[in-house]
Amino acid sequence: MPSWFSKVFKAKPTSSGPSRPSLDELMGGIDTSEDPEPEQLAGPPKKRRVVNAPILEEAVETETWSADVRIKARVEKDKGACVLMLDRPVLEGNSAWFPNAQKAELSPLAQAIFSIDGVESVLLHGYTITITRRPTMHGDWKPMAQEVGNVVRTHLVDGSPVVTDTFLEGLPSSDEIVVTLQRVIDTEINPSIAAHSGAIALDRVEGNTVFIQMMGGCQGCAASDVTLRQGIYEAFRSAVPQIGAILDNTDHGAGKSPFYKALPAGIN
Amino acid sequence: MPKLNSFDVTIKTGDKGPGVAPKWSINGFIVDFEQSKGGTSAGETFHGIASPGSFPHTLLICGPESGIWNIDETRITFYPHGEEPYTVRLGAATLDEESDLNIWIERPQAVFDV
Repeated sequence: MPSWFSKVFKAKPTSSGPSRPSLDELMGGIDTSEDPEPEQLAGPPKKRRVVNAPILEEAVETETWSADVRIKARVEKDKGACVLMLDRPVLEGNSAWFPNAQKAELSPLAQAIFSIDGVESVLLHGYTITITRRPTMHGDWKPMAQEVGNVVRTHLVDGSPVVTDTFLEGLPSSDEIVVTLQRVIDTEINPSIAAHSGAIALDRVEGNTVFIQMMGGCQGCAASDVTLRQGIYEAFRSAVPQIGAILDNTDHGAGKSPFYKALPAGIN
Repeated sequence: MPKLNSFDVTIKTGDKGPGVAPKWSINGFIVDFEQSKGGTSAGETFHGIASPGSFPHTLLICGPESGIWNIDETRITFYPHGEEPYTVRLGAATLDEESDLNIWIERPQAVFDV
């Protein structure tokens, strides 16, 4: 053995010097014979449902009625329309929608409303008049609503007709509307929204007022209002121009899976 | 969505109730009411006051730990930061141990005379 070997590779100590403690010593006498079983998991947490109770009343500004024909107005949340609520029916049994002044020739009331600068469309339904304004009109709705209110009040106090007899005589029957709209739903609308796992159904038709229900992926979908306005409205009105109000009767907060995404086959 | 400084709630119990003060939850966090009086047994009325001081995405009254809670009516007054308070009244609802009542209703659109 070369002399340098013992300098590089030191020999193992042969004495019983300090040694690493054994595992038993490290455990310090801890009794491990009765380790408790790991706590059994109770499975995934239960899913909870959110219950939406009907809104009975919302506190709003309460002001005294200001005139013989009492009218209050409410601007819709997206500021796209203003709803005037009257103390008497505007149009009973039917509704009337006018997309522009030219189409309103059979409604003296709608014509009077269209005389106000900026009014884009007029919907007469029950106790309400809904107006939209041109996209170029911005700012506070109150001045325009006030102007429309004055026109409506004057018109009704004068006793002028809301729509002409010719308008009413030209309305298709509810049954005719049902048949036509069901065809539109089956052949145009539902096939096009099936990709979003959605569907709509014709709930009922009262006069020329249409009630629909949205289902599947449309129920509760944040875009359902856009779908309704841009897709369904146009398809319905294109098929039956005499349709008045189109109302969404869907409870978008209800259902087991409002707004769900379709899952691949085999996944629940 | 405004910051909700506080809210107070009044819950009228119908023919079945848990009998104990309910909890409420904001954005998934379950909290006790800071002040409360009354009860939730059948026919009783519960009043609770809470101060979230936060932006609610969900605001719920927690369902009972067991059994059924038939609520006849719920009235909530919200006190948003920097805005006038507003009140919403909700109708009947039934809760059980797997359900909660949504009480977050945004301010109704103002109505004005024209």
